[in-house]
Amino acid sequence: MKLHPLSIPYRAARTAGNVVLIAFFAFFGVPQFLDGALAFAVAGMVIIAGLIAIVGWQYAYYRRYEYALTESTLDIDAGVVSRRSREIPYGRVQNVSIERTIVQRALGLAEVRVETAGGSGTEAHLQYVGAAEANRLQNEISERKRRSRTEETAGDASAADAAATEAGTLADRRELLFEMTPRELGVLGVVSLDSRILPLVFFALTPFVPEITELAGGSAGLAVLFVPAIVLAIYLATAVLSAAYAVTNYYGFQLFAVDDELRYERGLLQKFSGTIPLEKVQAVTVTENVLSRFVGYASLTAETAGFSPGQEGGSQAAVPIARRDRVLELAKEIEPVDLPAFERPPKRARTRYVARYAIVLGILTAIAYSAVASGVWNGPWWIVPLAAPLIPVAAHLKWRNLGYALTDEYVVTRHGFWSRTTKIVPYHRVQTVADSQTIFQRRRQLATLHVDVAGSRSLVSDDSKMIDVDRDVAGEIRETIADRLLESLAEQDDRPADQFRDAPIDPVPSSQDSATSGDGSASANDESASRSQ
Amino acid sequence: MRGASGDDPDLTDGSEDAAESSGDSLDDSNLDATDVDPSELTVSERSLHPRIRTIWIARGVVWSLVLGAIAFAAAWQWLEISLLVPATITIALLALFVTHAVLRYRAWQYEFREDAIYLERGVVTRVRTVVPFVRIQHVDTARGPIARVAGLSTLVVYTAGSRGADVTIPGIESDRATEHQRRLKQLAIAAEDDTAV
Repeated sequence: MKLHPLSIPYRAARTAGNVVLIAFFAFFGVPQFLDGALAFAVAGMVIIAGLIAIVGWQYAYYRRYEYALTESTLDIDAGVVSRRSREIPYGRVQNVSIERTIVQRALGLAEVRVETAGGSGTEAHLQYVGAAEANRLQNEISERKRRSRTEETAGDASAADAAATEAGTLADRRELLFEMTPRELGVLGVVSLDSRILPLVFFALTPFVPEITELAGGSAGLAVLFVPAIVLAIYLATAVLSAAYAVTNYYGFQLFAVDDELRYERGLLQKFSGTIPLEKVQAVTVTENVLSRFVGYASLTAETAGFSPGQEGGSQAAVPIARRDRVLELAKEIEPVDLPAFERPPKRARTRYVARYAIVLGILTAIAYSAVASGVWNGPWWIVPLAAPLIPVAAHLKWRNLGYALTDEYVVTRHGFWSRTTKIVPYHRVQTVADSQTIFQRRRQLATLHVDVAGSRSLVSDDSKMIDVDRDVAGEIRETIADRLLESLAEQDDRPADQFRDAPIDPVPSSQDSATSGDGSASANDESASRSQ
Repeated sequence: MRGASGDDPDLTDGSEDAAESSGDSLDDSNLDATDVDPSELTVSERSLHPRIRTIWIARGVVWSLVLGAIAFAAAWQWLEISLLVPATITIALLALFVTHAVLRYRAWQYEFREDAIYLERGVVTRVRTVVPFVRIQHVDTARGPIARVAGLSTLVVYTAGSRGADVTIPGIESDRATEHQRRLKQLAIAAEDDTAV
């Protein structure tokens, strides 16, 4: 199938816009060496030639772009100069998302992205198809994905078809899980400010301290009183901006369950919609920043291994904001888990944070003092060490928000004060387990345990980790998680997509090897089963 | 640690590490009971080949000499300071790099268990990683020019996780690395699984 014909002028206009922008910056300020009618003619010719080239290129792009939904794959043939054809098996599709900017909505266009786990970008990026076609693609891919999976178990396509027709149309089968109320949208606007900005604002302000001091009539003590007022003003300004952004982005948020997928729709001006297949969810994250914790709200993210360069990375906000209990309830729709009681790291971890923050404050004081001593800055350097009483408080807060728990099926970890992240990872999604000890941690016999899952978000250091647990405990947990991973994979034998331990062990070159490998895995299985009891 | 590791002569200077990870002993006592006849495919805990230590030390020496030469040039050409300063820097760097290489070698341990690869490494930050065979996507062996002269290879194990490429075992004798690669392939196939992503 082809892209939407209107995508030619739209893409051409976008390219032309970019070219004009680049040309503007490239030629800005270059002295005019031509004048009068000649300049006009030359400029006109260049512009017309450019336009023809752009439109011609986009037309060729459109002509050469071909996509098709086959029985088992999504095929895309594209490329003007170098041709590329790509086949994406439905079973490997992670997310299908549709994005429509306000201009695209006016033209009836939509942008479709299909993500798979591999690669470093969007695997199928359709720019642009008609709005109806985009929805059809999204539904059709879900449908075919489901069918390809049921076929695997039933081994019979007609049975799957019958099941599908029996269940009725997609609209009948979809069930509204969550709809954002205006109140929640308001809360989102208020709490969506990244509170980590606050200390930044504070430090950004310090260069202005002399001016403020002048304002305060030369008294440094009075100036200190001004600072909170200014911080508050800047905070409010930032809050209004991020609130406006959050509200337009998440306006009309709705979350549906369709068969075994979640679907969301959101956006005021720019519309987004996407799918989150439940069987592809690697981890569920509950995030609460300081403000939302204060008012009892939280947000929920379902992470898949798909990668999208958009604002959400590989993960999708399943619920941008809702009351905490509601979020936990919705989390159960994805992974049936109750938040367990958390274990805290040992108290000596807290001592460690006191030491850490004291060192940081010491360094800051030294910098401020030397700045004053060398005459670079003549503000009140003694403000910095005045923060010392905050050190134990900060250390305690950091420690208090750390936690971990191992349930029968999940690893649950929690960390962060400014933005507390609680991450729920099923054992069968764990890729690798590692514990690490820095030299500072070794001094106090502590270790950090990292539980790695497939995905892109973990790259941004936001992986599931147990910070500063006892070294020996970390070692035990590491082995426990690795064992439970194998146990839970073995238990999932009946899952259609899973051939684990069902598959006959492939013949290997030496017969002795194959025999022992069979024995080895069997004994490992027995062993881990016995250990779990 | 595994009972078999005691016979490994390479482990003698790594005894400190073995003692440090005694936290695993709970599981291991259990393992020892059933693990009387270790599977042919597994490799009990072992250190890297000693030649990699020589390579790392040599690399440290070269780097400290290069940096020392730069320091000498800077001191002689632009800074009006005694040549004793760059000399001290060079010696300090030399000591630092060589110590690091020795400690790094001493810290490195790897083990192929029945169901997972286990790695222990790191001088400043000590890391212990468990990579279950089910999670292996593919296995590479790589040979740089220097390692090739020394007859050593690097084994790289990829998983779908974001830290996947972290699983790199340097300094394995080339034929052994190929053998490991073959074994891992078999183990990964035997433990085939689709739920990874």
